[in-house]
Amino acid sequence: MKKLGLLLFSFVFVATSYGQITKQGHTNQNKFRQLKQELPTPNLERTASGAPGKEYTQQKVDYSMDIILDDEKTKITGAETITYHNNSKDNLTYLWVQLDQNMRAKDSKTPDISPNSIPNKLSKSRFDKNYVEEAFDGGFNIMSVTNMDSSKLSYTINQTMMRINLPNPLASGATFKFNIEWWYNINNHREDGGRSGYEHFPEDGNNNYVIAQFYPRMCVYDNVEGWQNDQFWGRSEFALEFGDFTVNITVPEDHMLGATGVLQNPKDVFSKKELKRREEASKSFSEPVIIRTQEEAEKIEKSKATKTKTWKFVAENVRDYAFATSRKFIFDAMAVNINGKTVMAESLYSKEANPLYGDHSTRAVAQTLETYSKYTFDYPYHKAISVDGQMGMEYPQICFNPGRPDLEDGGYSDRMKYRMVKVTIHEVGHNFFPMIVNSDERQWTWMDEGLNSYMEMLAELDYDKDFPIVRGYPKNIVKYMAGDQSKIAPIMSKGDNVYAFGNNAYGKPATALWILRETIMGKELFDHAFKTYSQRWMFKRPSPADFFRTMEDASGIDLDWFWRGWFYTTDVTDIGIKSVKKYNTKEVEDSVEFVEDTSEGLGFASKQNKYHYEITYEKPGGLVMPIIVEFTYKDGSKEKKTYPAQIWRYTDDEVTKVFSSTKQIASIMIDPDLETADVDTSNNSFPRQDASKFDQFKEKVKN
Amino acid sequence: MKTKHTLLLLFIIPLLSFTTHKYYLSLTQLTYKSEAKSIQIIMNVFMDDIEVALNKDYNIDLQLTTKKELKNNDVYFESYLKEKLLFKVDGIAKTFNYIGKEYDGDLVYFYLEIENINQLETIHVTNNILTKHFPEQQNLVKSKVGKKNKSVLLTKDDNNTTLKF
Repeated sequence: MKKLGLLLFSFVFVATSYGQITKQGHTNQNKFRQLKQELPTPNLERTASGAPGKEYTQQKVDYSMDIILDDEKTKITGAETITYHNNSKDNLTYLWVQLDQNMRAKDSKTPDISPNSIPNKLSKSRFDKNYVEEAFDGGFNIMSVTNMDSSKLSYTINQTMMRINLPNPLASGATFKFNIEWWYNINNHREDGGRSGYEHFPEDGNNNYVIAQFYPRMCVYDNVEGWQNDQFWGRSEFALEFGDFTVNITVPEDHMLGATGVLQNPKDVFSKKELKRREEASKSFSEPVIIRTQEEAEKIEKSKATKTKTWKFVAENVRDYAFATSRKFIFDAMAVNINGKTVMAESLYSKEANPLYGDHSTRAVAQTLETYSKYTFDYPYHKAISVDGQMGMEYPQICFNPGRPDLEDGGYSDRMKYRMVKVTIHEVGHNFFPMIVNSDERQWTWMDEGLNSYMEMLAELDYDKDFPIVRGYPKNIVKYMAGDQSKIAPIMSKGDNVYAFGNNAYGKPATALWILRETIMGKELFDHAFKTYSQRWMFKRPSPADFFRTMEDASGIDLDWFWRGWFYTTDVTDIGIKSVKKYNTKEVEDSVEFVEDTSEGLGFASKQNKYHYEITYEKPGGLVMPIIVEFTYKDGSKEKKTYPAQIWRYTDDEVTKVFSSTKQIASIMIDPDLETADVDTSNNSFPRQDASKFDQFKEKVKN
Repeated sequence: MKTKHTLLLLFIIPLLSFTTHKYYLSLTQLTYKSEAKSIQIIMNVFMDDIEVALNKDYNIDLQLTTKKELKNNDVYFESYLKEKLLFKVDGIAKTFNYIGKEYDGDLVYFYLEIENINQLETIHVTNNILTKHFPEQQNLVKSKVGKKNKSVLLTKDDNNTTLKF
């Protein structure tokens, strides 16, 4: 019996192993699977809907500062009292302060992490700078860090950060006040680059100062990163807490100055004439009023005052502080009506930037405030200033912009005008993202640059309906996305680590939003969701998940597949038509038979009541996207059909779909309006259009 | 003075919070069409760079894609390209026809054609596009003859190559 059993067992075993090969399983690789693994688990601070939760907290940091600018030595000296409010639920044993200027210190590690090689040739001045001259002596010189009773406070400096070693842990809900005194040499940003600095004018010996990252400022502490612990390497920007600033800035008496915050002592710093013009500007909604004229500025810049003047500001609920000052500055301003509230649009510029700045700067500021307010929230601050800073850099209520007249006769070309207006709109737009919707720039460049580059397009088109948009349309990103994959990073990468910064953090996310609005979601649903995100996170710190979740939550559209493809991978769109089969119908008793018409092309051999086409769409590209098909009938009329991206949920490489019509089709075209950033359009038409781009162009020129 | 400013700009741009194109690259695509007996050439460059180069070399003000665009600017483009872009087919110098140009975003595409090529084994390319004013300029040449694809990256100091098929 035992033997028989064994025999039977081995028979069964052998039969089984001969009968089938054991199949291997797999994990879920479906492109429509939800982002459960990628997104953090929702909690009481950040909800599953993408809104701040009922236990959301953020720290508050108030600064009281006295700043002195030494124009002679191009040096800043400061003293500040920081009031740190620990609103988190945690007790803190130390605090971290950011010392951004140390990126320019002699021992900075930023140059050490930048690979370089011997170039073929350099200009003499560049050679001297790189190989001969001693390095610029930048970085903060911390003179003292003290308690409020003037006793010394223990601290440790680690490159661009400084740890304050608290005598006692700072309890949740408690406040800690301390003082820092410092000075630093200001960099010449025209020669050495940078996000702030001065520009020197050899003709009159003056400097235009655009000053930022000039004070030790608190690092962010939150429940996403803990203490922000990523050094400032120079590219990935800032993570900052909101707070109130009281700032006194002492500069030469003949300087014109603009800064974050409400000016407290206008009578001390403006002439009577300027005060009157300032008053006029606050009522001028149609055009800027010049408060200090070019003529006046030119007179002032010819001499140098030895006395100083102190400008006093109070800024509430801002995440940062910056100012610009020069005796060369012309000053104009106009009023902007934001839903019944008057906001001032202002500009500071030297004569070298006129007439370009006089014609367009303040107007571009006003347009930005209007357009952005319409799509996000009413601009909550009292003003926005654009400064002829000859860079492109943003701070709360003030930004530094490029562009100067470029023609021999002192005028400016259209290209220069559009470039200047474009950057001004972009930088003023940053008041919304990230100055108010306070995303963490150190971790996620795209969250402010991408969203802002998208909004910027809408403001540009409002400024001038023919504005030359060079970034943001799907066709503009094709070259980048179709490029060498070893030089492309997903959008969800840290700014310091991406290759093509502009395309990765600005162009591609802006395009992604443009496609969501125009092609995937529709304007109404997109605009509502985008506004919901902006308002939910106004004066708070959103993370990528909060954006992704809110866009879905407020629109009722699952977009996990879109975020996964466009933000977490470097996949590309490539959808084409693989083949088309044609069918006639024949009634046979109770049923209808489909008979293939095997004639060449899309035409049918005989007339039918209805023409049936079985179309196989192929997708060599990794991204799932809607199939947008345009059918052109033999009579010349056209019909467009869009199959949602979900058509790819069962098969990722190809899908078959029937299209039936009473008219015969002459040709079929995928994505005729270039909405999807398709990287290879050679498979988009049926019958294939063999004419190359070259032949098409030659034909066009001939006609 | 102007050159110095442009140079400075090259170094400074990467640090800014607004970025424009930061690399200096042109692409020249050569395709031999045996049925047409011609080498079809499509070349693209960044519009602002070529505008700077031509404005300086010819002392003109192009203002491309704007209302003030200089009329008949093809004369300058043709002259520039014929000076900077040279071809030898099987060792014999050949000139190309300038068919025209078109704009796409911040790029300009040029269409050029070398006619009457019955067969070919080598194409020698000399490419000096933009290298005078932009020392960092790189000029990528891609070619397709029959089923063979060849590509090479040229620079200011390494400005020519022979493509063998």
